[in-house]
Amino acid sequence: MRQTMPVRLGAAEDTLIAQLKSVGAHADAERITVAGLPTRRVESYHYTDLKTLLRTIPPLAKAANEASAPALRVPGAYQLMIANGVIQSASTAPAGIIVGKAAGSALSTRDDVLVHLNGALAKESLTLTLESSVDPVIQIDRRTEGEAAHVADSLKIYVADGASAIILETFSGSDAAHVGNHATYIALGKNAVVTHITVDLSFRATSHFATNEYHVGEGAKLRTLVIHAGAGLSRTQLFPRYEGAGAHGDITGLNLVSDGQHADITMDATHAVPGTSSQPLFKSIARGRGKAVVQGKLVVARDAQKTDAKFMHQGLMLSDEAEILSKPELEIYADDVVCGHGSTCGKLDEDSLFYLMSRGIPQEEAETMLVRGFLEELVDSIEDAALAEALHGVIDGWLLGGK
Amino acid sequence: MTTPILEIRNLHARIEEREILKGVNLTIPAGQVHAIMGRNGSGKSTLSYVLAGKEDYEITEGEILLNGVDILDMEPSERAVAGIFLAFQYPIEIPGVATMTFLKAAMNAQRKARGEVEMTTPDFMRAVKEAGAQLNIDSDMLKRPLNVGFSGGEKKRAEILQMALLKPALCVLDETDSGLDIDALQVVSRGVNALRAENRSMLVITHYQRLLNHIVPDVVHVFSDGRIVESGDKDLALQLEAKGYADFDATAA
Repeated sequence: MRQTMPVRLGAAEDTLIAQLKSVGAHADAERITVAGLPTRRVESYHYTDLKTLLRTIPPLAKAANEASAPALRVPGAYQLMIANGVIQSASTAPAGIIVGKAAGSALSTRDDVLVHLNGALAKESLTLTLESSVDPVIQIDRRTEGEAAHVADSLKIYVADGASAIILETFSGSDAAHVGNHATYIALGKNAVVTHITVDLSFRATSHFATNEYHVGEGAKLRTLVIHAGAGLSRTQLFPRYEGAGAHGDITGLNLVSDGQHADITMDATHAVPGTSSQPLFKSIARGRGKAVVQGKLVVARDAQKTDAKFMHQGLMLSDEAEILSKPELEIYADDVVCGHGSTCGKLDEDSLFYLMSRGIPQEEAETMLVRGFLEELVDSIEDAALAEALHGVIDGWLLGGK
Repeated sequence: MTTPILEIRNLHARIEEREILKGVNLTIPAGQVHAIMGRNGSGKSTLSYVLAGKEDYEITEGEILLNGVDILDMEPSERAVAGIFLAFQYPIEIPGVATMTFLKAAMNAQRKARGEVEMTTPDFMRAVKEAGAQLNIDSDMLKRPLNVGFSGGEKKRAEILQMALLKPALCVLDETDSGLDIDALQVVSRGVNALRAENRSMLVITHYQRLLNHIVPDVVHVFSDGRIVESGDKDLALQLEAKGYADFDATAA
């Protein structure tokens, strides 16, 4: 392994090592001392070279004194807040939810630097137990306030057998060079139905990292949507694991990048047992010299026969300088499966543009209509009308927000 | 004499190095319906795209006047506002854009460009419902994404619906009969005929005489090798149907 080679450490790594030591995470500090931050030579970070992209790490977050307005308002939602890594006291929970706390990070151990950092630095996890179906949208508002800070926070959700819920997480905060490392763990019981949406609305100076680990039980249905629409550098890692027959995942994501931004959605999915299915669908739109990355790995275990999984990534380039990178991977150990992958990338269709313009719609408006149309299938399946409208607002904000 | 709605003078157009229109002259007075007939590849469809302002073509000579105003420097959207409407031979499918949303955007974009107030939603709904009823278009079809999964007949009816709502000065119908069965052809033709008006002209482009039994033209032109080689009344279409285009090729040469 390369880890045995001594590496030259930069300022970001020195700070990380000091921070890890300060919380007593000596093994994690040692790991970074030996290996450094991952470079393009590490396969899962090939397009998001953290050693190059992450030059400095701000001090560990202190409790926040003030909070900015919520980044996204969804009428009727039940709101919970984690500010600068600290779980805020909540209003009375709607029927079916038990709110609590647990020490440390919710993520399972994994050979990944962001997971290790969250494991070492997240002091507590907000825990939600959904005993039965929950009507209002559950919104977890995660924010980093004040001076630039390195914050790690964590959320753990258990969804009981047969329960259903729509969970929205929003990430935002003050306009500073924060580094956020956010963890979410969701376990879906038998026949549970969950929609999980994460939206990054941080300021451009912020670097946003999130890891979502899912355990999908027998007959359970998981729909996810990641939207990157804020931070200058963002990466969301999706680790769904299909663990019971009939488990299904509609894993979706959207990178919206403008000049100078870098957004990465990396999925590593495991179909662990026979008879599970997934439809990962990702879209990227890049303008200026924006860079969007989607990596999608499907692992099918040896006895996970009849797995049905298809990865798709569609890219839309709005400028000649934009970059959209796509890396599908299939790792199949079973012999009776239907698995596939596809990637497309292109510009707006000239014929479609001409058609709309020939009806009197000016070019800019016609382009906006086509981009909205390209994204529609990711949002139109969201059942909650107020939430769908809020997400359309996020997308329109980006579209009309200029370069 | 009043200004004709459309006047094309010595129009030459090419795509890359290939010249397709080779000196088209055509005048359509207000209220008239003219038909252009010609075989595949004669340049009929190119003429319709050039009128609507498709970028792929380079105009090397000539002019196009709409109500006396030169439109060659206008964007396709500006030409639409000026009064040109092209009913496409193959209407484009636009996933993710509901037909209703598109119709409203188009109507309001044109109103805005003309300095008129935008339509209220109830007024808009009423206008669409009225125009749709004549074309057997129900609200379910309008909720679907524009042209996506529409049958051939539905696509053409949707084109005529747009024409009825946008009330253009010049309707250009490019092979509107293609892909239509007899029933659909009658519905579409009825829709087109309902739009015939004193202040509106139409240019009907077709291979077949069949369509002209339903939409009866005032003048028929024969198109061959990039220009009009013969003009006459509606009987010229019957003559063409009987004898084919061969005789006219000789005239062109």
